[in-house]
Amino acid sequence: MKKNSFYLIVGCIALALLAIFWYFVEVSVEVHRPFIIEAAFIVAIVIIYFVRKRVTDINEDERSAKITEQAAVRTFQVFWVIFCAFSIGAVMQILYVPTFPREHFEFHTQELLGPKMMGYFQLGLLCLMFFLYVAFRIYYARKYGDWETDEE
Amino acid sequence: MPGNTETGKPMKNKIKVFRAMHDLTQEDLAQAIGVTRQTILAIEKGKYVPSLDLAFKISRHFQVNIEEVFVYDEAVLTVTVD
Repeated sequence: MKKNSFYLIVGCIALALLAIFWYFVEVSVEVHRPFIIEAAFIVAIVIIYFVRKRVTDINEDERSAKITEQAAVRTFQVFWVIFCAFSIGAVMQILYVPTFPREHFEFHTQELLGPKMMGYFQLGLLCLMFFLYVAFRIYYARKYGDWETDEE
Repeated sequence: MPGNTETGKPMKNKIKVFRAMHDLTQEDLAQAIGVTRQTILAIEKGKYVPSLDLAFKISRHFQVNIEEVFVYDEAVLTVTVD
């Protein structure tokens, strides 16, 4: 399979996912089944994974593998620090740990980090990780000479 | 030829010289050893230090020992450390 065909399929899957999300959001809210959207997302990722394995004209060698690896590691490092910091805050709220100093205890952090906000925060974090990964990829691609020009 | 200044490893190589001797372009060499042209360019410029496997492939392609193509210049390391 050609690379362009792969991107076309990914685009179609993304559109299908969007349509599923759009259609089922109402249904999911009514019958409380976010499961449909979650399942659709997992199925889409699995399909993309198997389609990706059939692409033949992607030139990958050890340097590009290293760029991917380095970018992924750095993104993960940032991810776990932010996610841990957020999780500690969330656990403190669940356990009703008072803030310091005590007089600010009535500050409405409960609304600030309620379940709904947690969901939004996680989505935001995932988006941040995506952009961070792209940025790290560009950085390491530059570092390992991706845009070097030669006299040849 | 540049060493790998970013990692502090004084790895130099003579790929460009060997290519000229064998009248090969970067693309020819890249195809022969199964990497991209950009990788050959990055190695030549000292931006990327190849794995042992790739280093052997390159030297085998030129039918020479690995030490003839890749030079580990400890003098550069001493200068870098100092």
